[in-house]
Parts: sequence; structure tokens; C-alpha cells
Amino acid sequence: MLDFFMGHYAYWFTLILLAIGLYGMLLKKNLVKKTIGLSIFQAAVILFFVSVAMKKGATVPVKAKGIPVSEVSNYLNALPHTLMLTAIVVGVATLGVALALIITIYNRYETLNEEELLDKIQ
Amino acid sequence: MIITFTTVLLYAASDLPLRGNPDNQMNQRESITGTEVPGNYYIREAYHDAHTPNIVTVILGDYRSVDTLGEQIVIFSAGLICFLLLRKRGQNDDE
Repeated sequence: MLDFFMGHYAYWFTLILLAIGLYGMLLKKNLVKKTIGLSIFQAAVILFFVSVAMKKGATVPVKAKGIPVSEVSNYLNALPHTLMLTAIVVGVATLGVALALIITIYNRYETLNEEELLDKIQ
Repeated sequence: MIITFTTVLLYAASDLPLRGNPDNQMNQRESITGTEVPGNYYIREAYHDAHTPNIVTVILGDYRSVDTLGEQIVIFSAGLICFLLLRKRGQNDDE
């Protein structure tokens, strides 16, 4: 039972974070809050991958003296870390574009509320 | 609806392998399809191939350099789009 809890609690926290992000994206009306929800969702996915890559009794994937590389269980799997590094960078870039779009929308329509915005566009 | 979704996700998480167990499928030598797991190859051969101690750097810069190039293109175009979006507004203010 304790084993089960210790093996899964990280997944549960990330999934709760995922649900918070989804709630922000779907139910909030403010565009900035929607973007924050998107960002939280993304952080949850990245945290999920990083926590899956965890290996007990292993060290970080940087070659150290005295820890032989030939024994694979000495080091963490470096592939999820690398891919998540890429995902973080791309996520920050898209977040920047989203914020720039929000600035443009606010300058033109003077509102960030989704419903008011739809009314003004029509 | 979101509560239902979260409950389904939390239930599905109980079937995931225990976190940190070195005997997990992803840490084994071969995947279920019989091919070698790439992570193990990276750990064993990264220093031998590139003579850099940091395995993450070796994967990012050597094995997946084309992927990283694509990433750079994404960042560059994002910066360009931000610049164009914000600059256009500035011109309209001047007029």
C-alpha cells in the first residue's frame, strides 16, 4: 500500500495540475487567464515526463569519475530531459507570441473578455 | 465534466509503473517490440562519441542537432512575429 502511494503520488499531483490548467483554459473568460491556464497545462505535461524519467539509485546524466558509464542503471535516462528542454523552449516562444497577440487585441478592442470581444467583432 | 475527466485520469494513473523503479520497461535493454531502447545507448556511448561529459548536451547538440535547428527556427519566427505584431501597432499610433 505504501509502495503504491510512493510510486504514484507524483503522477497524482501532475494530473491535478493538468486539471487546473484545463479548468483555466475552458471556463475562464479573460484571455490572459486562459493563457495562464495553457501555461499550467504545459508545465504539468513537462513535469509528468520528467517524473517518469526518474530512476532510483541513479545520478544525473552527467558523466562523473568513479561511476562507470557501461552500467546503464547508474545514470538517469537522458532522453526525456532533452526532449522536455526542447518543449520548454518552444513553449516559452509560443507563450510570447500569445501575449503579443493579446496586447494587439487589447489595443484594438479595449477589452480582454471573450464574450465582449465576440460582440465587438460582429 | 472536468471533475469526471480528472477522476478518469487519476484512476488510469494507478496502472502506470511505479515511479523510480530501475526495472521499468523504459529502463530495460529492449522494448516490447524487440528493438533497443535509445536511452541506454545514449548513456553508454555518449562520452565515447562526442567526448562531452554532459549526456543531455550530447543528445541535444550531436544526435539531435537537426531537431535543435528546427527549434531555433521556431524561436526565431516567434520573435519575428512578436516584433511585427507590436511594431505595426506602434506605427498606427504615430499616424
